[in-house]
Amino acid sequence: MASGTLAKPQMRGLLARRLRIHIVGAFIVSLGVATLYKLGVAEPRKKAYADFYRNYGSMKDFEEMRKSAK
Amino acid sequence: MAHPAQLGFQDAASPIMEELMYFHDHTLMIVFLISSLVLYIISLMLTTELTHTSTMDAQEVETVWTILPAVILILIALPSLRILYMMDEITTPTLTLKTMGHQWYWSYEYTDYENLCFDSYMTPPLELDPGELRLLEVDNRVVLPTEMSIRMLISSEDVLHSWTVPSLGVKTDAIPGRLNQATLMTSRPGIYYGQCSEICGANHSFMPIVLELVPLKHFEEWLLSTLE
Repeated sequence: MASGTLAKPQMRGLLARRLRIHIVGAFIVSLGVATLYKLGVAEPRKKAYADFYRNYGSMKDFEEMRKSAK
Repeated sequence: MAHPAQLGFQDAASPIMEELMYFHDHTLMIVFLISSLVLYIISLMLTTELTHTSTMDAQEVETVWTILPAVILILIALPSLRILYMMDEITTPTLTLKTMGHQWYWSYEYTDYENLCFDSYMTPPLELDPGELRLLEVDNRVVLPTEMSIRMLISSEDVLHSWTVPSLGVKTDAIPGRLNQATLMTSRPGIYYGQCSEICGANHSFMPIVLELVPLKHFEEWLLSTLE
């Protein structure tokens, strides 16, 4: 007889285990994508507009445009 | 104006367009969230040989995938309604500009004080000066004052047209026999381009709109010099 026997492999609940792991994984991935978009695109865009208009002077901008046209 | 291979919106030149951009970011974030979830689940389903052949019901997951989409829809609807009402706020416009769509040009009427009316035809490509934009330049631009609420009254003399300026977030149909109203409020001076946005015949793509937004003093000077 064999001196050492292999452990009985896991034979039940494999799909359930896979689903348990991956349902959490799916939500982490999708929320991660959303967070990346928010932090990488949406918030920088809002900040860019806020920074642009913070010290904006429309007359100064207009005079610069006029000067560059000539 | 749009740049070649541009994917996103043009830079916002009005507060409404800024709000629309932020709302688009919010909604696109939700779209990416749902799309990545579905893509992940599809790839999961394609990479296993495990099955469950005796599923009778799935009450819990069915409850989740009914409530969650409803919540997501509410999260989209609330900012959407906020902007919708913001666009329809009653303001007291300081100026009214009427525009009529024709085949294939726009005509503008400044009738608040004096009677200034002119047509705005596209500049043919062969007549463009160096640096000018093909299919976007016009012979007579619409000059308007910045940082003031302007009422636009838009209609048409023949077929359907649509008066559009993407950087201001304005797109209003010009319908014969109907008067549509839009409100413009620009945050900064500049030249803003748009194109007719309702199919109106052979030269639908060749009737652009060009707004030249200037400070009020310069607008008044332009108005007086044009009236002379």
